[in-house]
Amino acid sequence: MNEQVAAALAAEEAAIYAYGIIGVELPESAQVTEARAAEQAHRDRRDYLVGKMDQPRTSPAGYRMPFPVTDRGTALKLAIHVEDGVAQAWRPVLAVTQDADRMTALAAMTDAAVRATRWRRLAAVSPATMAFPGWAE
Amino acid sequence: MVLTDRVRTTRRRLLGGGLGVATLAGCGVFRDEPKPPPAPDPLQPVLDEALALAGAYDRVIAAQPALSARLTPLAADHRSHAAELAKLIDTKASAPPPEAVDSVAGLRAAELAAQKTAVAACRAAPADRAGLVGSIAACRATHAEALR
Repeated sequence: MNEQVAAALAAEEAAIYAYGIIGVELPESAQVTEARAAEQAHRDRRDYLVGKMDQPRTSPAGYRMPFPVTDRGTALKLAIHVEDGVAQAWRPVLAVTQDADRMTALAAMTDAAVRATRWRRLAAVSPATMAFPGWAE
Repeated sequence: MVLTDRVRTTRRRLLGGGLGVATLAGCGVFRDEPKPPPAPDPLQPVLDEALALAGAYDRVIAAQPALSARLTPLAADHRSHAAELAKLIDTKASAPPPEAVDSVAGLRAAELAAQKTAVAACRAAPADRAGLVGSIAACRATHAEALR
């Protein structure tokens, strides 16, 4: 289980870092508010995962964004990218958990998928959904 | 005497054998009776809902063609779910009851209800099914978001 939890934790850490960059480039205050709420949700998931780790974790390495974020379009693109990544990192946790822990993992995956859909709509990306969130396309 | 004993033994064996045959024949009688249908797979309701939702989208699109571009990909997602589930479970394509849905708001409510079914199925699923059913639950949630 620790391997899957560690991967989910790494994805949550990456998302928290990315939203710091995303927020700077979003022009509308409503979207900035949404980005801040998303960042806080990822912080909460990170804290939950830290509590589930058997061993103390090493501090996360520096992050490299997959592409430069220079404007609204690239900020939304990064938000979609990190939420897809978070959903993909949580899916394997479903198979190694049960009951309440599995439901938490499913909620984390679902929330990430819903945020990805919301960012896709804001970015006018169509379709805004995918058949199997959490599975690499 | 010896001969008689042998005969008795043989008769007894025959009788025993006869009883055995009779018992087997009895089993055969029961075997011919219709078996109770096997319990449906726990994922059958998730599959039924996927097909019912796909049909509901088709009806809304037929009534409001302007919504086709927005709704068609969502209907396709449900058909993808049904196809994946059909690979896993022994299903006889039971015709799902038609969803009495004629609006986007109705579709959204149906998605949220179907999400709950999939969440419960994910909780109860063995490890090797949890990922697929969880993904279907998440997809239904994203559909509800897309229909806002």
